[in-house]
Amino acid sequence: MPVRRLAGFGLLLVSVSLQASIEAWPEYLRTDPAGEAVAADRSAAEPGARSVALRAARNGYVSFQVVARPGRRGPYSLSFEWSGKAALEATVFREWFHRGARQAGDYPDALVPVKLPYHSEFPEPDNKIADQKVQPFWVDVWVPKPAAPGVYRGVVTLRSGGGKEELPVAITVLAATVPDEDVIRMDHNSYGSSWLASGYPGLVKRTAGDFFDSVAFYRLIHAYHRIFYEHRGIFHQLGYGHAGKVGPEFAPEVEGTGRARHVASWTRFDRHYGPLLDGSAFAGTRRGPSPIPFMYLPINPEWPASFVNWGEPGYEAEFVNVVSEMERHFREKGWTHTSYEMFFNHKKRYKGFPWDGDEVRFKKDDTFFREYRRLLDKAMPAGSPVRILYRADVSWDTERQAREMAGVINMWVCGAEPLAWLPETARLLKSRNEVVWIYGGTPTVYKPSEEISMMALRPWMLGVGGFVHWLATSPGRDPWFQFSGGATGLVYPGERFGIEEPIPGIRLKLQRNVLQDLALAQELSARWSLETVQAGIVERYNHSRPADWWMNRPPMADRPVLELNNADFGPETMKIARRMAADVAAGSWRPAHDYILQLASEVAQ
Amino acid sequence: MKRRDAKHFRYVLFLWLAAGAAAQSPRGMDELKKSLDEVARTGSVMVDGDVCQRITTERAKEYMVKKDPRDRWIDGDNFDVNAEPYIQTKKTLMRLARLVDFPCDVNLWMPLDNIAGQVQVVIRNVNEMSQFWRFGQLHQPMPPEMKQVLASGERLAVIRRPGMVSVLAPVRNSLGDTVGLLEVVAQMTPDAHENVK
Repeated sequence: MPVRRLAGFGLLLVSVSLQASIEAWPEYLRTDPAGEAVAADRSAAEPGARSVALRAARNGYVSFQVVARPGRRGPYSLSFEWSGKAALEATVFREWFHRGARQAGDYPDALVPVKLPYHSEFPEPDNKIADQKVQPFWVDVWVPKPAAPGVYRGVVTLRSGGGKEELPVAITVLAATVPDEDVIRMDHNSYGSSWLASGYPGLVKRTAGDFFDSVAFYRLIHAYHRIFYEHRGIFHQLGYGHAGKVGPEFAPEVEGTGRARHVASWTRFDRHYGPLLDGSAFAGTRRGPSPIPFMYLPINPEWPASFVNWGEPGYEAEFVNVVSEMERHFREKGWTHTSYEMFFNHKKRYKGFPWDGDEVRFKKDDTFFREYRRLLDKAMPAGSPVRILYRADVSWDTERQAREMAGVINMWVCGAEPLAWLPETARLLKSRNEVVWIYGGTPTVYKPSEEISMMALRPWMLGVGGFVHWLATSPGRDPWFQFSGGATGLVYPGERFGIEEPIPGIRLKLQRNVLQDLALAQELSARWSLETVQAGIVERYNHSRPADWWMNRPPMADRPVLELNNADFGPETMKIARRMAADVAAGSWRPAHDYILQLASEVAQ
Repeated sequence: MKRRDAKHFRYVLFLWLAAGAAAQSPRGMDELKKSLDEVARTGSVMVDGDVCQRITTERAKEYMVKKDPRDRWIDGDNFDVNAEPYIQTKKTLMRLARLVDFPCDVNLWMPLDNIAGQVQVVIRNVNEMSQFWRFGQLHQPMPPEMKQVLASGERLAVIRRPGMVSVLAPVRNSLGDTVGLLEVVAQMTPDAHENVK
């Protein structure tokens, strides 16, 4: 008898587990293939909801996750339909579980766009997850600017051998509108374009050896710009190597030497940059066409002037001739809405040139920087509408360089740590109306999901204008089954899924949602003051105060720069310098987001 | 005066050798090897070993061999050169590469004074071609081919990577010591996008 009762209980369990079910998870809580919160987000774990109820400002996105449990192996489908006439647009992505190279378990990040209704097999055959119990989907709801405030309802439906399950969705659209302009330039950096060939081998094959000159190649570059633009970011591609080799698509073709050096052809350059500089590459995006705000120039010690003539009149002639032609070309084309960056990326250690262009440590290298300022000034006509910024990426010697390179450098990309204990330096640079950003790495997927919010919030709290992910397009050789965590990639090649474009990841989505909140918060500060709004946000975010975002100056900051090493910027120094109250966890941004929307609602009333 | 005479002699010799070495794009590996060998022969005469010995600063040499478990970049972050000898030598290497009319790099390699069996590339050039350089390494174990050239003072053609040829040639100082070597390198099919990073 007890045996029979036990068997009955077992049958009940089997029947429950074979039944389809569907849950709503917040954007910041990621599931593993078994349907449990991933370890990094577990502190924020909460039971899945049976419905979605979110608020959103217009001209922005609101996101949530649908965790589908088809119950049985075999065919399943997912659909999403709005009730009545749809003013909002939903885009659904299947979340890919990355098999890690380390023992961290399978984490979702890459988002594969799906067409609705979505039909597939469970478990998803291509993801090859053993014993998969759930398939999560990311849902982006776009709220257009003209959408009328009110509640919009829809339903997500899961159908499988385990039955049919529905998840009601209600989005309350507020009267508030997210500004078009960002308060932080979120930059995603990359180097050259050979990585595109590695990421899209099928496309290379189809272009029959002509990949780098093909329409598909330029379309792909523009697609990378578009994906970052749509996620409120920008994209940089550095077009030259450590010894000055310039990729053909990054520079006009030049010919001649000495005073005879001139631009021979703009063909490739214009194919690459024309649609980016006039904004047409962004036609059809939700944010609309707009010229890229920043771009690297190909200028380096070997281009446009050959280093063989360094220090001689010929070097100056070659530099001035070609840079003057560039200025004229941009002016005549009307490409005057972009800030062009003259930036030196080389380092002595790579043995191409005798001075450090990047992360200067030796004061004597300033001489080279000053000479390029002289050359640039000579090449640029007075009153030109073309804006060429002279950019330097600094960390070791930020304080001195900011002081002594006034009038030379006017775009600073600073290591966050030194700048955070140099409030006077930050003020100095801003008082000179110079562009100031900070740079850093990208949190891996194995970190709490919302650690990425720090990349947007920190520059805003420091009062600087941007953040650079030093490398954002390189998720690794095999991000699908041998994933190293994505510290250098926020997007993935879509070719595996038949998409000849990059596809986004969860971290990129979370970052975008923070950026749009900050754009809104900045606008709200007109009513409550920036200090009040910032204080309200960071108190809710990690129980900190605005002053906590600045660091105490550590003793090492007063030692000669050549006595410092990387350990001086390590945890021990940070312990001394840091005042920040608490670390960031999954869900940290949610109270800040709610606060911003609350303020926005009050303004609208 | 003596110095100026020597400089003038070198310049004339350079032009003479340049005229002889100027070549059409190579049609095969043998022709490529031959063109590079001519550049290497010229380079051995033109590159001044005394100047090369002054390129890396003494401080950088000390740091190149330092290890710090708390700072894996201690060597690179302290790498430094004396600009004047560097520029003088680099310009010569660049001119040597122009002796042929196809993409060619002339790299300067030197053994480390303070660690036996280690060699560093001191100057690389625009195409960043090399069959020996390991990206990001300040110095590395000396390849046997380089050891051979340093010992014999004879040029040596090396094919390690398919389609790429390096000719190694000795660089001597005023005492007649072989203090470094040139890697004159090119590939059969130049890649316009390689090393743009």
